[in-house]
Amino acid sequence: MKVQYKAKRNLLETILQVEILQGLALTLRKLFSRPITRQYPDEKPPMYAGFRGQHALVRDPVTNDSKCIGCMRCATVCPSRCIHIKTHPGDSGQRLIDQYAIDVLRCVFCGYCVEVCPVGAITMTEVFEYASYDREAIYFDQEILLANWDRFLEQTGYDDTYVNPFWRPRGGLESRLPAAMRRDVPADWTIEGQFVGTKIRQPPACKLITDTEAAHD
Amino acid sequence: MQILILLLQIAMLLAIVLLHVAYLTYFERKIIGHMQVRMGPMRVGWHGLLQPIADGIKSFFKEDIIPQQADKPLFLAAPIICLVTMLAALAVLPFAEGWVLADINIGLLFIFAMSSLASYGIILAGWASNSKYTFLGGMRSMAQVISYEIPMGLSLVGVMMLSGSLNLSEIVAAQGTSIFSIYLFPQIIGFFVFFIAMLAETNRVPFDLPEAETELVSGYITEYSGMRYALFFMAEYIGMMVIASIGTICFLGGWNGPFAIPFFPPFWFILKVYGFLFVFIWIRATLPRYRYDQLMALGWKLLIPLALLNIFLTGLLKVLVR
Amino acid sequence: MISQLIFLYCALVIISTALLAVRFHNPVYSVLSVLVLFFHIAGLYLLLNAEFLAAIQIIVYAGGILILYLFVLFLVNLRQEIKSQRFVAHHRLSTVISIILGLSLLAIIPYFKLGAKGNYPVARIEQLTHTKAIGMEIYSTFILPFELAGLILLIAVIGGLVLARNDKTDPADDVSDSAAPTISEVQE
Repeated sequence: MKVQYKAKRNLLETILQVEILQGLALTLRKLFSRPITRQYPDEKPPMYAGFRGQHALVRDPVTNDSKCIGCMRCATVCPSRCIHIKTHPGDSGQRLIDQYAIDVLRCVFCGYCVEVCPVGAITMTEVFEYASYDREAIYFDQEILLANWDRFLEQTGYDDTYVNPFWRPRGGLESRLPAAMRRDVPADWTIEGQFVGTKIRQPPACKLITDTEAAHD
Repeated sequence: MQILILLLQIAMLLAIVLLHVAYLTYFERKIIGHMQVRMGPMRVGWHGLLQPIADGIKSFFKEDIIPQQADKPLFLAAPIICLVTMLAALAVLPFAEGWVLADINIGLLFIFAMSSLASYGIILAGWASNSKYTFLGGMRSMAQVISYEIPMGLSLVGVMMLSGSLNLSEIVAAQGTSIFSIYLFPQIIGFFVFFIAMLAETNRVPFDLPEAETELVSGYITEYSGMRYALFFMAEYIGMMVIASIGTICFLGGWNGPFAIPFFPPFWFILKVYGFLFVFIWIRATLPRYRYDQLMALGWKLLIPLALLNIFLTGLLKVLVR
Repeated sequence: MISQLIFLYCALVIISTALLAVRFHNPVYSVLSVLVLFFHIAGLYLLLNAEFLAAIQIIVYAGGILILYLFVLFLVNLRQEIKSQRFVAHHRLSTVISIILGLSLLAIIPYFKLGAKGNYPVARIEQLTHTKAIGMEIYSTFILPFELAGLILLIAVIGGLVLARNDKTDPADDVSDSAAPTISEVQE
C-alpha cells in the first residue's frame, strides 16, 4: 500500500516548488515578528508558587534557631543522599543537632525532604541565582541554610508563614498533613486546587475538608 | 610604484572582505535568530554589534590542538589551502567599471579552478585529522563538489554563449543589451540551475552534508580548534561572497543599476551581493538538510539535464535572433 | 629573461615533484605532489599565452581527475601501503632499465627540431584571445578528431551505464520466488 502523506501537486506547483516558497514566506514573516527571548540578567523570569530553588532552614521565631528535630526523615528519603545530619541525645531524650548540611552539588531538587519534614523545618525558596566558582560555597551547613532563610524573607517580603506548595502532597487530605504543615494558604493551594492535572473528571469519593476546617482541627 | 599601488589595493580588498566576513556571521546569527523568533547575539556591544570582534579575538587566542594521530603537515596545510584559494578567487571579480585587481580573459574559468581547488582543503582536512567524522565529511564534500561543479559550469555556459566572453567585466558589459540589462530573463533555467548548484558548492543548507552537525559532529572541521577553525569559517564565508558575486555578475548585471550612483560605482553590485547573501541565510533558516542520495539524484538527474537543455535553448535563441 | 627564469623554475619543480610522486611512500602525498606538478604545467601554459589551456588543466586535472584518484586512495587501507617498503619485486633490475631508458631519452635531445610555425603567433592570439583561437581551431580544422573523441567518451559513458545497471528481473530471483510458498499456503 502506498501512503499519500501530502497533497498531490500539479505541474505548475512542482516547477515553482510551492512548498519551499511557502516555507520561505513563513520565515520572512517571522523575521519581523516580536522575539520571545527574555534578556535574562536584565529581565528576571516570573516566579511561580512551588518553585524548587535554594534550600533553607526555617528560623523558628521562638528559639531563634532551626525547627529541625533530627528525625532523619529527610536524610532517609533523599534519593541522592546529599543531606548529612549528626545528632546527640539531649537531657529530656530529644535529639540535638550537631550538624545539618546539604551538599547542593549532588541535590536533584526533587523536594522530597521538604515534603516529608514533619515540622516544616526545611524548605525550598524561590532563589535560583547562587552559582559559584568553588565547590565549598555551595556546600550548605546549618548557618548558611538559616542565613538563606533570613535573606529570602528579607528579599521577597514573605513572613515566616511562607509555605512552598510542594510541602503539601497533592491529592491528599489536609487533615492527614503533619500539624506544622496545615496552614491558611491562598485559594489555589487548597485541596481542590491540589489534585494533579487542571481538570479532574471525578471528584474524590472522600469528603473534602476545607482549609479553614482543617486549621481548626 | 605600480606594485606598491597594487599591494595597497590588495590590502584594502582583503581588509574589506574580512570585515564583511565578520559581519556576515553577525547578520547570519541575527537574521536566523529573528526568523526563529529569537534575538541572536545581544550582549557584546549595542545589540551585539561587537560580537564578531569578540569571536575573532576568542578564536585567535584559543589553544590550537593537533590530534596525535593526525597527519601533521597536511593537517596544518588544509585550512590554508581552503582560505588561499578562496582569496585568490577575489582577485578577478570586477566590483565596478575598472574596479578589478586582475582583469584576465579567463576570469570565469579561474573562479571555477579556484573553487574546485578549495575542495582539496576540505578533503585533506577530512583525511589528515584521522577521525571517522572528519573523514566522512571530507568524502561527502568530495563527491558533492565533483557532482555540483558540472551543473554549475554548464549553467554558466549559457551566459558565456550570450556574452561571447569569459572575462567577467565583458560579461557585465554585454548584459547592457539584454532585457532590463540583466541575463536573468533569457537565462532563467540557467539561473535556476546555478542557484541550486551555488548552494551545494558552498556547502550551505540544504546541502550542508559535509558538516552535518546532527550526524557528523561538525564534519571535516571536527578536529580543528582555535584559529585554524576560524580559517575554515572564513573560507566558507568568502566562498559564499565569491559565488554571490559570480551570480551577480553573470545573471544580475553586475554593477549596472537603474541609475548611476556618483562617487561610489560598486553600489549596485554590493547591493545585489547582499541580496544574494540574505537569500543564503534565509534559506538556511527555512529548509532542512537533504538526504545524501537525494542530493546526488538532484544533481545528476535534474540539474545536469536542465543545464544541457538550457545550453541547447540558448544556442537556438542565438541562431534565431541572428 | 624573466620568462626564462619562470620557465626554469616551473621545469625544476615539475621534474622534482614528478620524482617525489614516485618516491613518496604515502600515496596521498604522491597525489599531492602531482597536484603541484599540474600547477606548474599550468604555469608553463600561461608562459605560452595559452590561458584557456592553463585554466582547463587545473579544472579538469587538478579539480576533477586527481580528486577521483584521492577518492580511490581513501577507499584503500593506506596504513598497510605505507608500511610496505617496495612496490616492485625486481627493484635492482628495474633501476638498471630505467637508467638505460633515461640515458636514451637524453641521447635523443640533440636531434629535437622545432616544427613548422602555425597560423597563431603570440600577437594574433593576444588580439583574438586564446579561448576563441582554440575554439575556432577545434570546431573547424580538427572537427573530426574532436567528434571522434566525443564518440569515445560516449562509449565510455554507455559502458559505465551497462556495468552499473541493476537488473531488476534477475531470473534467479524469479525461480526462488515461485518456489517459495505463498502466505496463503503457509496459513493452510
